[in-house]
Amino acid sequence: MNQNIRMALVGNPNAGKTTLFNALTGARQHVGNYPGITVDYKEGVFTHDSQKITLTDLPGTYSLTAYSMEEVVTRDYLVKEKPQVVINIVDASNLERNLYLTTQFLELGCPLIIALNMIDVARDRGVEVKAEKLAELMGVPVVPIIARSGQGAETLISQAILQATQPWQPRDISYGEDLDETIMELIALISEHDFLTETYPARFTAIKYLEHDDQILQKGQQDDSATAVRLEAKVNQVSDHLLKTMDAYPEAIIADHRYGFIKSILRQGVQSHSFDTDRLYTSDKIDKVVTNRLLGPVIMLMILFGLYQFTFTWSELPVSWLETLFSWLSGQVETLLPDGPVKSMIISGIIDGMGGVLGFVPLIMFMFLGIAVLEDSGYLARVAFMMDRIFRIFGLHGSSVMPFIVSGGIAGGCAVPGVMATRTLRSPKERIATLLTVPFMNCGAKVPVLALLIGAFFSESKALYMFLFTLLAWVVALLTAKLLRATVLKGAATPFVMELPPYRFPTLRGLAIHTWERTWQYIKKAGTVILGISILLWALMTYPGLPEATRADYEQQRQDITASFAPAIMSESSSEKEEVSEEAMALRRQLLTLDNEEAEQALRNSIAGRIGIALEPVSRLAGFDWRTNIALVGGFAAKEVIISTLGTAYSMGKVEADASGSLGERLSRDPNWSKVVAVAALIFIMFYAPCFVTVVCIAKEAGHWGWALFSISFNTFFAFLMATAVFQIGSRLG
Amino acid sequence: MTFKTLKHTCSCLADKIRNSTGQPVCPGQIAPLSESCRSGRLKICKITGDRKLCTRMASLGVYPGEEVELLCPENGSQCLLKLQGTTLTLDSNTTRNILVTEA
Repeated sequence: MNQNIRMALVGNPNAGKTTLFNALTGARQHVGNYPGITVDYKEGVFTHDSQKITLTDLPGTYSLTAYSMEEVVTRDYLVKEKPQVVINIVDASNLERNLYLTTQFLELGCPLIIALNMIDVARDRGVEVKAEKLAELMGVPVVPIIARSGQGAETLISQAILQATQPWQPRDISYGEDLDETIMELIALISEHDFLTETYPARFTAIKYLEHDDQILQKGQQDDSATAVRLEAKVNQVSDHLLKTMDAYPEAIIADHRYGFIKSILRQGVQSHSFDTDRLYTSDKIDKVVTNRLLGPVIMLMILFGLYQFTFTWSELPVSWLETLFSWLSGQVETLLPDGPVKSMIISGIIDGMGGVLGFVPLIMFMFLGIAVLEDSGYLARVAFMMDRIFRIFGLHGSSVMPFIVSGGIAGGCAVPGVMATRTLRSPKERIATLLTVPFMNCGAKVPVLALLIGAFFSESKALYMFLFTLLAWVVALLTAKLLRATVLKGAATPFVMELPPYRFPTLRGLAIHTWERTWQYIKKAGTVILGISILLWALMTYPGLPEATRADYEQQRQDITASFAPAIMSESSSEKEEVSEEAMALRRQLLTLDNEEAEQALRNSIAGRIGIALEPVSRLAGFDWRTNIALVGGFAAKEVIISTLGTAYSMGKVEADASGSLGERLSRDPNWSKVVAVAALIFIMFYAPCFVTVVCIAKEAGHWGWALFSISFNTFFAFLMATAVFQIGSRLG
Repeated sequence: MTFKTLKHTCSCLADKIRNSTGQPVCPGQIAPLSESCRSGRLKICKITGDRKLCTRMASLGVYPGEEVELLCPENGSQCLLKLQGTTLTLDSNTTRNILVTEA
């Protein structure tokens, strides 16, 4: 096999980079119809005609001027890693704008090949692009492709392999007499002092200085401040001159010339339009309705409510099947295994704990399917557009919408990628305000808790309550953001500009992949982290157990009860028969009550029980008993644990004689629980400290543990205050 | 009333309200995009304000001389702009700095 070739995939956001990356490498990277889904770069390896190729998918950018994180990541990768070939994926239906980035790759000098994507979409819009002519005029190979179907991908890679032998050769574009002269002077100065020449071509640095690129200016100052000062002085001089004579900054003139260069190429028969370019496409017509000021929000709420209705209605049956399956499993283990710690661990720790989490797989799956439809169709980007109006009021940025949605804004996300998605925000204050408030959203781990408590206490209108609790999460998150932006994170708002992707019909394959990927992550977490924590919490809830004397005392009481009945009744009571005499039933009841009392005592005496009891004087203010406390403390490790711990705590410490059935049924029958307690608990669970992984992520993204600790303490205090208010007012109102 | 006639009535009414309140950008008159209250074709005259904005807008295809279609006039925060094959959302800070004239 030949030596490995390193290729990079670059282009505008939503031009189809990740789709092509997946098609070539066989990877299953998530492709959303939403710009900026790739913030970091991803690598994949594949073989083409026995040639090993490492392909890197870089974030989508509109230019190589450091404006956002994506541009910095892409530019840094290209100049530091120096890939042998750069595949520039270009949207054929929007050629002029896409080639603007291409001109900058030419100036950087990387061996380039253009993948002319979406030729089918362009053709539908009446745009015909002559690839050979474009290649001839641009001086780089151009291969027409359709990334979605993989058409042309083979030819593209064959051509790209040929380009790998090409050296890095910067190309010159003329920027008019004034600027060209200045550029030459800057190049002379740069070359004389070897200023940043190890990383960038001299002409590229000169142009970036004229464009006032912050990152390059900063690098220049660090590398050789004396030369940097001379360059800046030269640039300032020409900037002042241009402002006086042409009322424009150098970057405006540079952009103008780049478009001039592109237009001159396109006008030489590269592009032809068979119908009017002014016409509105279906996408635009839909946008006129769905983003309408009045109709838009109504449609959005209806769609989201429809999503909950769909999720709850369709998942009800499979959820009940799984519940039955886990009850049956418990029953089997109960009869097959002898009494002891192993049996207790399997039933209370594994089956009740994990079963509670896995039982919600159908619900999570339907929720993810609904979200995948919204995302892949392009509607989610419109939601961001409409929500920006509201976000502005609360001091957040339009780019904050996606982190909120990823974290579970529609329900069923995860705060960890949500916190990471805040990287697209440029303003540090807006970014911290976003990453501190995204954990308030109802992530995939909180949804089952919500579903369980809503199902148990408000079963008459589950979808409506789910919808209301989601709205509540938004209201609280936005108000908190406003509070933070008005106090500790005070500062001006930054502009929000986004490209809306066209509406696309989601493909069945795409929907299946997205739904399964996310569902599998949930299942995998249940089988690994949650299983581990479930067993640990079971151990904390089991040990040290009751003292020998107390156990002996219970045994004595058991014998006393049995002795008070005739031997015939005793044997009838211990038989497998369901229909027994009244006396035998009374014996069974008395023994069961004693068993439950002993189990409750054991749980109270356990490490977790002691923690729960120690917290009870405070938690009682919000209506939580010691068993709920155990679950809430466990929830800090991972929110899924709340359900599994409640399941374990209520199966171990069941106090009523008929405490059988699902966890929801057990809770609804428990005297410590009521509708008011359920609402207080829901509010506390929704808003208290984020899970441990999210906290670590917040610390990493904010660059300071202070913000992570702030989110733990502030959220818990705030959630407790709200839950207490709900419980106290609710109890008084009856 | 059928859905079709209802839709027609609604859109006519909406157009009437918009036309009576919206201030059209007169031919030859240059005004910020934020002041364009009616949908329609416009020509970009100049990008003002922060110099970074100018570079950013150019990379998105919004530069002097380019013709655009205003799909959704600004409603207090964002507006929808169609240019070349794409649709952009711009906020009020940005639209205040884009000077346009009727195409």
